[in-house]
Parts: sequence; C-alpha cells; structure tokens
Amino acid sequence: MDKKTREAIRYLGYGKNAVDEKTLSLISKTFQSLESVAVKKSIYRIFNIVHEDENNFSIGKVHIHSRNLGKNLRGCNKIVLFGATLGAGVDLLMNRYNITDMAQAVIMQSCAAALLEEYCDECQDAIAAKLSLEQLYLRPRFSPGYGDFDISYQKPLMMILDCAKTIGLTMTDGYMMTPTKSVTAVIGISPSKEPCHKSGCEECTKKDCLYRRDSL
Amino acid sequence: MITERLGKELLFFDGGMGTLLQEKGLLPGELPETWNITHADEITDIHRQYFEAGSDIVLTNTFGANALKFQDDTFPLKDIIDTAVRNAKKAALFADIEDRETYIALDIGPTGKLLKPMGDLDFETAYETFKEVAVLGEEAGADLIHIETMSDTYEVKAAVLAAKENTSLPVFVTLIFDERGKLLTGADVPSVVAMLEGLRVNALGINCGLGPKQMLPILSQIAEYTSLPIIVKPNAGLPKQRDGVTYYDVSPAEFAKTMEEIVKKGAVLVGGCCGTTPEHIREMIAAVCDFPAVPCTPKGRTIVSSYGRSIEIGTGSKIIGERINPTGKKKFKEALKEHRIDYIIKEGIAQEEAGAHILDVNVGLPDIDEVAMMKEVIQQLQSVTSLPLQIDTVDVNAMEAAMRIYNGKPMINSVSGKKDSMNQVFPLIKKYGGVVVGLTLDENGIPDTAQGRLEIAKKILASAALYGIEKKDIIIDVLCMTISSEPNGAKTTLEALHLIKNTLGVQTVLGVSNISFGLPNRPIINSNFYTMAMQQGLSVGIINPLSEEMMKSYYAYHALVNLDENCEHYISHYANQELSGLTVIGEHKGELTLQSIIEKGLKDDATRITQTLLETNEPLDIINQELIPALDVVGRGFEKGTVFLPQLLMSAEAAKNAFAVIKDVIARSGAPAEHMDKVVLATVKGDIHDIGKNIVKVLLENYSFDVIDLGKDVPPELIVQTVLEQEVKLVGLSALMTTTVVSMEETIRLLRKEAPDCKVMVGGAVLNQDYADMIGADFYGKDAMQSVYYAQKLFS
Repeated sequence: MDKKTREAIRYLGYGKNAVDEKTLSLISKTFQSLESVAVKKSIYRIFNIVHEDENNFSIGKVHIHSRNLGKNLRGCNKIVLFGATLGAGVDLLMNRYNITDMAQAVIMQSCAAALLEEYCDECQDAIAAKLSLEQLYLRPRFSPGYGDFDISYQKPLMMILDCAKTIGLTMTDGYMMTPTKSVTAVIGISPSKEPCHKSGCEECTKKDCLYRRDSL
Repeated sequence: MITERLGKELLFFDGGMGTLLQEKGLLPGELPETWNITHADEITDIHRQYFEAGSDIVLTNTFGANALKFQDDTFPLKDIIDTAVRNAKKAALFADIEDRETYIALDIGPTGKLLKPMGDLDFETAYETFKEVAVLGEEAGADLIHIETMSDTYEVKAAVLAAKENTSLPVFVTLIFDERGKLLTGADVPSVVAMLEGLRVNALGINCGLGPKQMLPILSQIAEYTSLPIIVKPNAGLPKQRDGVTYYDVSPAEFAKTMEEIVKKGAVLVGGCCGTTPEHIREMIAAVCDFPAVPCTPKGRTIVSSYGRSIEIGTGSKIIGERINPTGKKKFKEALKEHRIDYIIKEGIAQEEAGAHILDVNVGLPDIDEVAMMKEVIQQLQSVTSLPLQIDTVDVNAMEAAMRIYNGKPMINSVSGKKDSMNQVFPLIKKYGGVVVGLTLDENGIPDTAQGRLEIAKKILASAALYGIEKKDIIIDVLCMTISSEPNGAKTTLEALHLIKNTLGVQTVLGVSNISFGLPNRPIINSNFYTMAMQQGLSVGIINPLSEEMMKSYYAYHALVNLDENCEHYISHYANQELSGLTVIGEHKGELTLQSIIEKGLKDDATRITQTLLETNEPLDIINQELIPALDVVGRGFEKGTVFLPQLLMSAEAAKNAFAVIKDVIARSGAPAEHMDKVVLATVKGDIHDIGKNIVKVLLENYSFDVIDLGKDVPPELIVQTVLEQEVKLVGLSALMTTTVVSMEETIRLLRKEAPDCKVMVGGAVLNQDYADMIGADFYGKDAMQSVYYAQKLFS
C-alpha cells in the first residue's frame, strides 16, 4: 500500500483498523479519476527573513508574529514561500458526488487531500534537492492555520506569490482557499542540517482529533 | 481612433512593468500601483522608454488597481487610476517620437478572487468592481481598455460587460494559457474565443505565463478559431530563480526572432509581458515592422462553450439532453415548486453520463419565479458539469438573466420568424453572445412545406445579419409535427432539413421526440426518425439520452457513416454490455436479502431488489423488517468502531435508493404521505466546506426526516427566516474552521432571539463539547450518527 493510500484511509477515520476490499478498491479508482481531472500547479519563491525577536520576523513588507513558526524557523535566514493546488476540476468532481453519492464524496475528499499532500512533498523534495547543492537545508512545511501561525497570513503569502495569476489559487473573504484542494506554506531554509522537526499535524493543539497522526 | 487601424497594420504594445519596478526597488508585499503616486517619475520614465522603443500602445500601471485587490489606506483608487493615466500621457508628451500617434490602454488585471460557484465572489460584485475601474479610466482619458492576464472566462465576462456597458472605449482581452493550451480554470482555446467573440470584444489573444516559443502552438490554435485581430504578449521566457530572485532569460534578440514567427502566424498586435524591457520591444519592432499584417478572416465555426469545455457543432451530430424540463413530468414539477434543486441537477448529471453534449435547461412553470430559478439552476449546473447549456425559455427576462450569469457562450432556445420574437432575442445575442435556435414559424404559423420553412429560415438569417449576428450563431429548427395527426409530418421535416442545410449551409436542430406524440411505444418511432434526420444532416438532436433506443441510433449512425473512427465509441458502449447485464442478475438472485444488501451498501441492487419485494410485500413491512433493521445494524457498528464512514454512507445511499422506490409506490397508491419532522441544515456564513453537512443530511433522510438543506456560506438571517416560515424545531449547523465558528455563534444568537423554541445542533472539524457549550449550542454531534440520535430523541 502506498503512502497516499494510507493517508486517505487515515483521513477516512479507519485508525488502525483494516479497510474492507470494497472501500479499498473505491479508493484506488478514486485516485485514478482524480489524477485525470487534477491539474497540479505549484509556485515557490525564496526570500530573506529578518528576525526581530524569537516570535517576530518579516519578509519584505510583511510582518509575521507567531511563536510556533518562530520556533520552526529558528536559525533560518531565508524562507521559501510555497503554494500548490490540484485545480478547480477536482472541486467540480467533488461537488458532483456531493449530490449523487455521499460515500464516494467522502472517499474523494480524503483521496484529494492525500494526493495534494503527496504533491506538496514532491515539490518540497525538488526544492530541497536544489538547495542542498548550496549546502542549504529545508525545515518542515508550515502553513497558515498551524498552531498560532494565524490563518490570515494566507493573504500576504498569496499576494507575494501572486498565486491567482501563477497557479490559479485564490482565497475567500474567510481565508479559505479556492480551489479547495490547495495549500500555502512557508518552509524555513537553514545552513545546518537539523534533526527532523515535528511536522504540521503533531504541532496542532487539538489533542483529541480523530485524525491525528501521532494518536495512532 | 485605434479601431480604424485594428487588423490592417501591425500595432505594438509595450513590455513588462512589474519586473522593472522590482529592479527599481519595489518590495515583496508592496502594491505596485502606489508607485504611480509615490514614484511618479520612475513610472513615467518607464512609459517614455517604451514609447521611444516604438510602442504604439502603452498600458497604465493599474494591473491590480481594483477595489478587491488594491486595499491601501493611504491612496484612494481614483487617485491611483488618475495618476496612472496622467503618467502615461505625460510620457507620450515628453517622449522623443515626433508626432507618431500613440494610445493609452487602461490596464485591467484580475481581481485575484475566484467567482462563484467555485469561489465566493458574486458575478455582479466582480462586475461592479471592474465597472468602477473602467469608468475611472475613461474619465481619466484612456483610449482603450485592455483586460489582461485573465485565467477565468467567468471573470473575463464580468470585466468585458463592465467595460462595454459603462464606457465607449474599445475593449481588448488577453488571457494566460498554460503549455497545454488551457486556462488555469481549464477552458480551452475554442471556448475562450467563442465567448469573447460573442461578447463582441475588439481584439483578443494571449499574454504572460509563457515565453514566445511556447506561445506559438497556442497562437496557431487561436488563429484557427478567431475572426478577430490577435494580440500576443509573451514573457521573456519561463520564469527562473537565482538567489531568491525571479528572472527571465530570453534576450531581446532571441525574443525578436520568435516574434517574427508570431507575426507571420497571424498576430497583429504584439508586445511583451513579464521580463521584457524596452530593449526587447525595440528589437522586436526592428525585426517585424516591415511584415504585412496577416488579414483576419471569418472562420464561421459554430461553437458553444462553458466553464471548461467547448462543443463544436457541425462535426457529426451532437446531442442536447432534453430532460431538464417540467413539461409532462410530475416529479420534476414538484421538485421545482419545492425548490429541490438537487433533483434537477441530478437529471443533468445523469444525462451527461449517458452521453449528452449539451444540456437543455427549461424551468418554466406558471407559479414560480422563473428568473430566479433559471439563474440558480444554471449556476448550480455549472458547478457540477462542464457541459455547455441551452437556455430554454419564452420569458425574455429569464433569458437575459441567464445569459448574463452564464459562464461561456450558451445555446439559446429560441427565436422564431415572428417580428416580436426577433426584436426581443437578437439584441440579447448581440450583447451577450450565444448560438440561437431559430424556429421556422412566424405570424402565419408553421408552413406545411419544406420550401415555406426555408423561407422563414432565410428571413431569420437576414434579420440576424442586421444585428451583426452571423450565420454561425444561428441553428435552424425545422420543427416536426407528430405523425399521429400530420401524416406527412416526418416527410416534410426531413425534406426541410435537407433543403435548408444544403441551400443555406446553416446548422440544424430538431426536438426529435415530438414526432411520436400520441402513439404507443414512442421510442421505436423516435429512434428510427432520429436516424433518418441525422442522415438528412441534423447537426444537433434534442433527445432523451437516457433512452437506450435513442443512443443505439446515435452510435449506430456515427459508426455507419464513418464518423466514429474504428467504431471506437460504438465498441466501447456495446462490446461488453450483454455479458455484464447477465452477471449482475445472476449473481444476487435470491441470494441476498434487502437487509444484507443495505448493510453491504449495494446501491443498484437495493433499487432492484426493492422493486421485486414490492410485488409481494407491503411497503411498510419492507421498511420495518428490512430497511430499519439494516440501518440500525450499520449505525451501531459505526458507533462501536467496526463500521467506518465510507461503509456507513454506502449503506445510507443504498437505503436511500430503496426508500425512493417505496415512496414512489406509496405516492402512486394515493395513500397520504407520512408525516416527516423538518430539520434545517446549513454550513455557516463564510464557510464553503459542506461535506460534513451533506453526510448528516443523507443520514437524517434515511431516518425519515424532512431535511431543508440551505447549502453552504449561509447568512444567519436566511436560517432564521427559514425556521420561522417553515416552523422548524431543529437546526443543524456545520463549520470547518475556527474562523467560521464565529458565524456559528452569531447564527445561534440570532436564532435564540427570533426563534427561542428551536434547538440547535452543531458539528464540524474544529468543534468539541466545550466549544459547543461556549457558543450556546444545544447539542454537539461528534459524528453524523450522534446528530441522528439527537434528532430522534428530540422528536420522539
């Protein structure tokens, strides 16, 4: 079983339980139909960070305050701003199943989330490979909405990356991304290799979450 | 006037602005438009350099100057746009260009937001936003409006309408295509061209995103479809990054060389985008200035389009699905009256799956607000299908409202040879674009000869031409009369088809099913007549694609006349059909009870077995002995953690199918409908994630609740209003994110005030019991089944 299938199963709430054959085969079919409608696009740019103190820093004209992100970025003087999306076609397909078949809709929801994560990982690996030539190393991806890194930072992030123009990613007034299967994140760049940090999910304060990776 | 020169000679645009500003010190996160005021000299200087490099048209520095994107406390939008135009004018005045005629184009870029239904921006809000910019630009003295770097046809439509309805300036449009030749939202070249030509823009083309080389194949495609002057403005190659800085590395010389090819291929308005400099423009002009402008020629292709897809009419015969229409359909009428949009949308999806290319949309009933219903159904359909739609109504207001908010170039049903009809419909086609069905009838009725129908077709085409509507945008319906009352009905129709197609070279359409009205076993007549009509040149048939007989005719015809290469479609539809039909029946026959079928979540079998059971059992017995026990088993399993969400929902869907069959039987028997308790469900304002709410909905429906689904992003006022009007005792609210729990709290507060007897249950990813208590909910459902149990307890 590949990683994205395992992730999709986790999002469906199976925990450590075995998945029945029927659901498993639906998951695999769903990944196929998603691959045929998804138009994966991503964008990244690298900027200098100016640290004011442990919890405050800025990128160009954008000032950021976050303790969790500050911790994540300690020792980094550069940062990758990153955006990725599976495109509006995925939303259209999900809308459709929301009307015709809810079982298929929840499976598609989970598979799309897993596919997006996989795509982000691939993008990040590619950036990491490029930077490693300059002896620079990436920290784990950190998105607005993780910990105390306020979701409203989505806005300047998307503006700097010009996400609407470059990858067709926009935001609603309530800071939700459209197309919905999209990610924005920052990734710290440090000159030294650090032991692997916790990534996003475990950082969350909602300890009773059914989907939590480290609760399994 | 620039319009007099358009298409007759090459005209040159300027090049990049943003990249030059970054070089001059524009910071990440800084709004480039503020520089019009804070760095007026730098901006003017860039414009001047472009004029001196040979640009005829210079774009104002207003790409992001719209109320949605430009949010700055220091400078009002009006000042930004005024100074932007002034800077460009000043540059033209001071540039060393003798008295060459130059033009200032008001640059309008995207809002940076996605329109509904995929995003949260209303079409009319987008329209108002662009209107403000366009009006300010014209007042400031711009010579034309250039809408550029657009990724979404819907947003483009709002911008073009805003520019055309509120200014008298020429409108140019360029969009950003990727290497597959598609927009970020998925639309292809023909759909973009069809829509923009329909909206009557002055020139169209491509900018940004790609370098000149990558644009060549897309340009070829545009040239194949458009009859308008073509604009091409590439980047200086694909973006690259070095030391954290984005750069473009196609040199001016290399750029100029490829631009030669671009001009030869038909672009008549050329310039540059990101990364290009005055030097790129200078070298480009030196390279191409002696080339003749490739003349624009009419292409005459009949194309309808939608969000992401275009359908060309005239290659083979195409299918318009006729099912979204209340005529003669009791259930459909009820769905319309009860505002059950899902029912209507499902009809659309089913027809697409059955092979329709276009969907007819008719929602006219005497006692509903057709304008509102038409708009709603069109937007909902466009959020689940990319098939083009045919707007079918006799209400001109509904027609206009639908054409305005439609994303793409629609088909319109219909205009006739009557003067009144043409006077009403043609102005709409001219304004919004569309391919219109022309009925061969006029004040004297339907002629009973083919010749008579030909004459009306000619009249329709001639009147359309007076409005500037070309033949490609008219599809003639030669009409058919049922053979049960008109013995020559079919013969006359077939003759007329042949005659009109061959005499006028126009596309044709027919509502095929009318032919058999009043006869038994209508599909036999319909499908044979359909084949005969296609043989006579029917370009589009309005049929029921869910009818197996009709689809057999369709696939057989295309295979027989070599319009289905290697019989590919025919084979893919019919090769395995018989075989699979047999296995399904054999497999479960007599082996599984309905209860176990529901438990296993076998949707299709649930329908079939329920039908069989109803032959020998009472409906209520089936519900009590099979359905309810099955749902209980699955529900308990879900609670214990032995059954998981996908299985729970598969069972729910299977049960839903079984209930639907049973309800049908009860309704037909005339027995009074069972009393159902009402529950309102909504995803709260600001939240666009509705999967959780939909899960609760399907389960509540299983347990016989009457769910009033208000959708997502629902304002508190609407929820309260519905509760009061329909006397609802339970509301379920869903929110996914902390940011929208605030709206949930607000909704509860308003409900407490206006409808204190109504209970509120809440659910969603970020909620927990504490949070639910804090915002004053009556119940927190940690999963969907808990909501069902709570509702049952409340109403028992």
